[in-house]
Amino acid sequence: MSLGMILLVVLALLILFGVLQRVLDRMALTDKQALLCVAAIFIGGWLPDLNLGAVTLNWGGAIVPLAVCVYLFFHAGTGMERGRCLIASVLTAAAVYAISVFFPADPVTMPFDPMILYGLCGGAIAWILGRSRRSAFVAGILGVVLADAAVGVVNWRNGISQTVHLGSAGALDAVVLSGVTAVLLCELFGELMERIVRGREQHAAEGGQHA
Amino acid sequence: MKEKGLRLLLSLALAVMLYAACTAPVSAEEAEGDDAAEQLHVVLDSTGAKLFTFCGALHEGDEYIAQDNALYRIATVSGSSAIAERIGEETMPDVSWLDTGEAQAVFADMSVPAAGNSGSDTDSRKLIAMYVTHSDESYVPSDGTQSINGQGGIYDVAREFRDALQAQGIDVILDESTHLPHDSGAYRRSRQTAERLLQKQPDAIIDIHRDGIPDQSEYTCTINGENASQVRLLVGRSNQNSGVNREFAKEIKAVADKQYPGLIKDIFIGKGNYNQDLSPNAILIEFGTHTISKERALESTGLMANVVSTALYGPQTGSASAEGASSSAQKTQSAEKTKGSISGITWLIVAVVVGAVIFLLAQTGGGKAMARKLGRNVSEMTGGLMGKRPEDEP
Repeated sequence: MSLGMILLVVLALLILFGVLQRVLDRMALTDKQALLCVAAIFIGGWLPDLNLGAVTLNWGGAIVPLAVCVYLFFHAGTGMERGRCLIASVLTAAAVYAISVFFPADPVTMPFDPMILYGLCGGAIAWILGRSRRSAFVAGILGVVLADAAVGVVNWRNGISQTVHLGSAGALDAVVLSGVTAVLLCELFGELMERIVRGREQHAAEGGQHA
Repeated sequence: MKEKGLRLLLSLALAVMLYAACTAPVSAEEAEGDDAAEQLHVVLDSTGAKLFTFCGALHEGDEYIAQDNALYRIATVSGSSAIAERIGEETMPDVSWLDTGEAQAVFADMSVPAAGNSGSDTDSRKLIAMYVTHSDESYVPSDGTQSINGQGGIYDVAREFRDALQAQGIDVILDESTHLPHDSGAYRRSRQTAERLLQKQPDAIIDIHRDGIPDQSEYTCTINGENASQVRLLVGRSNQNSGVNREFAKEIKAVADKQYPGLIKDIFIGKGNYNQDLSPNAILIEFGTHTISKERALESTGLMANVVSTALYGPQTGSASAEGASSSAQKTQSAEKTKGSISGITWLIVAVVVGAVIFLLAQTGGGKAMARKLGRNVSEMTGGLMGKRPEDEP
């Protein structure tokens, strides 16, 4: 069983056992909807890609994650949050693109697995911009998709005719892994920071009462 | 003020993308060229004798199985040199069945657990999938450059390898997609190709490369009187299939050492994934280096086709005694692989469980609260059969 499949199964179990309940609440998703998405990504990954000529889209690796992004985008609380969501996506795309270009080409020489790094960038950028789990997921997904599209444009500029495959590895694609990693990082980092802040406030309040 | 900041960030992102697009390396020449000298490492043993040259970064803990099956581990890396400690002799798979004469094919049950083969149709089928991650890689003496902006000379090697395997009666799917540019995103793009190929359930999936070290003498050899290139097998140690991939590489080397001594240069087990997490029978093969003639690499493809075919499916002919011996040896190797696979998955599950506990601790703030939350969730999941129901809680 590959790493991606194991992660998807683990993700489904985490949803089933309620570990991700708070994250899903913040993303305006129910457990059932989340499980449906995981199943759709899993099954969609095995379906033939949607061929649009120079671009192909995988159902599980690109279309389902992008549909979830659209849902999350329109369920974002305010116009400001939507704006931040888009900015986080563009910034993540720039980060993903820069990682591809500036990191050494050989995995042996890479200081960090880029597949994980993309998601970490998306999560960190979304958290800095708005502490939003929704934005983190959208940034993780759109960041990789936009970066792949940018590679297609650069290749075209260089006279290379190469099909742009979006999410073709299905559930194991960097698109899916990046979205999941981004939202998990945002939640973990967010919870820790919020706990520290709450702890400080409580401590200050107790100090005030004693005084 | 906030909007101004956001606009600034957006402009910065677009500037980074634009700059990266303008400076993006398209070819191996650009990706390897400038940094090639920096990336070359001479690996020495503890006595100071040269073992091999490696193009790329080395890390402590990387391993190397030399041509004589001595196992080395990189102990220190300093500048452009590294010291490797000899750990001992690597235990290689038993291929004594290759000595036992001639007869029929015996590997209907497959030596290696195939990547998802099941059912009667696939049991008797022989299928190998191939792709080329670094599409531009080429051979300077034959192609005129080390990098071609499109399909490099490496595709000629891949096609020749495909034809040689097909001549052995094996179905081969060679995906000729390119994955340009030659940057750190190349493996992400080729991952998509690999995943598409794996849907056909091949018995093995091979990523075809050539090395980037300038000294051609490290790769030139003569086998059966023909000028050929040596071959390096590369295994990524940063994935849960690493143990099984290593067994697969060792099996190929053991067969090659019997059939064509000197053909396999070594096995390098380095940091990285190389998309080998996708299948237990995934392998990266480097046919020579860019400074040798492509004809040498092409010569080696025929030899490697015999080796891979034998390692995967057994000898084409063999005696009844050979059948018994090979069958039993293959069962032992299969058990080793299963052990390696289980060990890799166990480590992964342990890592995921530890991650989930950290995650829950961050959410709940303490062990007791975490246990309470888990108990409540398990109770909900099992309809109250297990765990603590919310109404039971004080």
